[in-house]
Amino acid sequence: MNSSMKDKITTSQAVVIIINYILATGILTLPRASVEKVKTPDVWISVFLGGVVAMIAGVIIVKLSQQYPDKTFYQYNQDIIGKWLGWFISACVIAYFFTISAFEVRIMAEVTSLFLLEGTPTWAIILPFLWVGLYLISGGINTIARLFEIIFPITFVIFLLVAFLSLGIFEIDNLRPVLGLGVVPMLKGIKTATLAFLGPEIMLLLVAFMYPSDKSKAVKVVLAGIAIPLLFYVITVVMVIGALSIEGVLTRTWPTIELMRSFEIPGLIFERFESFLLVIWIMQIFATFTITYYAATLGLAQLFKKNMHPFLYGLLPIIYIIAMTPKNINDLFTFGDKIGHAALILFGVVPITLLLISKLKGKKA
Amino acid sequence: MWEKVISYMPHWQVFLQGFLAFFIPYLIYKLFHVFLFVNKSNGKIEMKENSEQVEMVHIPIQKTLEQFTGDFNKDLLQMRKELGHNWDIHFREFQIGNTDNRAAIVFLKGLCDKELIDKHILKSLMNGHTEKSSVLRGHELQQSIRNEILPVSELLEESKVMKAVGKVLTGSTVLIVDGIQNVFIIGTAHGKTRNLEEPVSEAMVRGPRVGFTEKLSVNTSLLRQHGENRNLSIIEMEVGERTKKELVLAYIDEIVQPNLVKEVKERIETIHLDDVAESGYIEQLIEDDYLSPFSQVQSTERPDRVIAALLEGRVAILLDGTPFALIVPVTFNMLLQSPEDYYERWLSSSLIRLLRYFAAGISLFGPSLYIAFVSFHQGLIPTKLALSMMATRQGVPFPALIEALIMEVAIEILREAGLRLPKPIGPTMGIVGGLVIGEAAVQAGIVSPIMVIVVALTAISSFAIPQYNAGITLRMLRFVAMFSAALFGLYGIILFFLFLCSHLVKLKSFGVSYLSPTIPYRAGDWKDFMVRMPLKMMKHRPRLLKPKDSVRKGE
Repeated sequence: MNSSMKDKITTSQAVVIIINYILATGILTLPRASVEKVKTPDVWISVFLGGVVAMIAGVIIVKLSQQYPDKTFYQYNQDIIGKWLGWFISACVIAYFFTISAFEVRIMAEVTSLFLLEGTPTWAIILPFLWVGLYLISGGINTIARLFEIIFPITFVIFLLVAFLSLGIFEIDNLRPVLGLGVVPMLKGIKTATLAFLGPEIMLLLVAFMYPSDKSKAVKVVLAGIAIPLLFYVITVVMVIGALSIEGVLTRTWPTIELMRSFEIPGLIFERFESFLLVIWIMQIFATFTITYYAATLGLAQLFKKNMHPFLYGLLPIIYIIAMTPKNINDLFTFGDKIGHAALILFGVVPITLLLISKLKGKKA
Repeated sequence: MWEKVISYMPHWQVFLQGFLAFFIPYLIYKLFHVFLFVNKSNGKIEMKENSEQVEMVHIPIQKTLEQFTGDFNKDLLQMRKELGHNWDIHFREFQIGNTDNRAAIVFLKGLCDKELIDKHILKSLMNGHTEKSSVLRGHELQQSIRNEILPVSELLEESKVMKAVGKVLTGSTVLIVDGIQNVFIIGTAHGKTRNLEEPVSEAMVRGPRVGFTEKLSVNTSLLRQHGENRNLSIIEMEVGERTKKELVLAYIDEIVQPNLVKEVKERIETIHLDDVAESGYIEQLIEDDYLSPFSQVQSTERPDRVIAALLEGRVAILLDGTPFALIVPVTFNMLLQSPEDYYERWLSSSLIRLLRYFAAGISLFGPSLYIAFVSFHQGLIPTKLALSMMATRQGVPFPALIEALIMEVAIEILREAGLRLPKPIGPTMGIVGGLVIGEAAVQAGIVSPIMVIVVALTAISSFAIPQYNAGITLRMLRFVAMFSAALFGLYGIILFFLFLCSHLVKLKSFGVSYLSPTIPYRAGDWKDFMVRMPLKMMKHRPRLLKPKDSVRKGE
């Protein structure tokens, strides 16, 4: 395996990659994080608007990538802003990718040790997870895309099932009044909500892997790729707030899991459904972890124009050590916020600047 | 500031673990690499050995250049030198008609049709038929024998000694006539064959009750008998260095991808083996990934299954001497399908197919889920069930993993033993084993009754899979799942599932993704996947094989 791009992915695979990348921690933390900011039941509107913002950013990223359809971001940014600056930005993006993959791994370990494996040391949870990811990534982007295609339908079906089972304790009053305190609190939540939609940035790389005939569809890909997680998130937020109310959400670290724990449906084999949610959630975290890990490895390989293999193994300890650095769960959430802010600059500001520069250059030439 | 950074410095153990995170997979990778490398060099050595053998074999091959001379005594001596020491080779000398033209036939006792030789060959040659033949010599006699005297359909001429020897050894009769340069090869081969029977390994309620036999010509004729099809190509190849065996590729010319046929041919040509005893050898030598637990070639005894596969654009490999034909490329869903699905109506066969997928799931994850829930997540099962499970487990001295292992291993032993036993003892074995595993083990307090239910359900599920070897694969992986469940509970099962999927998405069988048509999404092929849609709707062949002619059913 090397960093060349012989592997190609289809349009539907690109969509599935974006969906799986976006769906991660957000399912569990978004309700609380956004309610903390908004403090009214209008959170779902914030989430909706956050998705729209992410779509705009995604379209800008795609437009930028379409300027250089055969190159990844790591290769073409040096063409736009020169060698050293481009190198620097690539390095930042790579750092971002492996940091976020470390963050996802740690969150997964925290949740797993809280709800599934009490007492198992964190390293024992993380290491096998890293290794399975390594095994998958060594197959290249196409393998990753195919695995995501298996995970996605499972997630989709189980998520909808679990969400609609919780309708029993849903109370529409918890969502009222709509815009009771005006528009301002709702706007406060948009930034937090947008951070849940980290993921479209993968299009910086994916466009290069798409079939030449499909590249023009990349905008549709990114829109569809954000629309489906948007649906998931809105359902989650509505269900969680509807069942637990604003106050209830604020006092719980993992409101979505608490929601699943708070109802029982007698008569079925399973009475409680948090295990189902955890199963699909761990799979989603795995997806996010592998795609970011792959993006970082690909970046390093293309930056140094080397084979991917040494970087693949070399990144493992780095990811592990970063994942183990936050001391407790609050540290971890602060860490996550910082990554989010970095992402806003890296994938909100930088692409549009690059797009403008390349357009200007294009006109000159 | 600095202190804050220091406070975030992880413990040295974290660095050690980080190093391990890198080192262990790297070590495994290196081990595999070395292993593969050694294997490759083994291959080279093997190649060298082979080439030496080829040189050794070359000496007789040099001999084959030796031609028959036309001098009766010399030729007969030559044949005697090559074959005379064998007990089962017969030489019969005589004179043609009432002339003094000397002749001899050489044949192998047992492999040739004696009646044909006695009644048609010897009789025709020895009876004084014409006065004409008494004066004929050489070329004219040759023409006369070919055109007038011998009433047999398979008649060839051969000039090389070794080739004639080879023909005798496979049951043909060689006729040497004084004054004729070449010898005649008469097709009298009549090997022992058994009757067509219903295949034992793939029984079914509805469908043709015919299976392949050990004779290649019978098997190919079974394929031809299916119906007239001008496009059915049956191409001959030869495998085995020392023991040569006939092998044919069957495919349908207008449907199959030419690249696929080429690939199969190339892979078969790389087999340099002394003797290919069974099609299992070929299966293992041409598969894509020999480290994978999944079989990447389908073997079947049923001609209807082969024909169906050919019509989808696959290639079948038939070997002489075995009733098992191979089908490539294979995808995972084929292992869970049975030809019967198409013979029965679509609703019932769809349900049965879904049932098989469910059974495969139980067979893979049944005991591991039990272990995970009993030893880690009692809280996730309904309280009443949890209570009754715990009550039954109270007297059991072992952890759930050991309990499950005892039962699983016992049932695997029972299965293996039952397979090898002579038929009259088999049922006894089942009763004794069933009693031991069921009643006695529970009463002795070794295992809990629920464990017995789980194990029994898993065992039955694994037999619900139509392909025997796919069932074995799942049973094998079940143990891995059990261990990961014992280590990490539900999380371990998820990890195992992800690992398994990662492996499966990497796996390819002759260029076709093993998990097709699940992924990449091909909605058109899903009509014949988990469910079987009505035949009226299945208008196209599976697109994953890129058939030349994609329409199965005209409008």
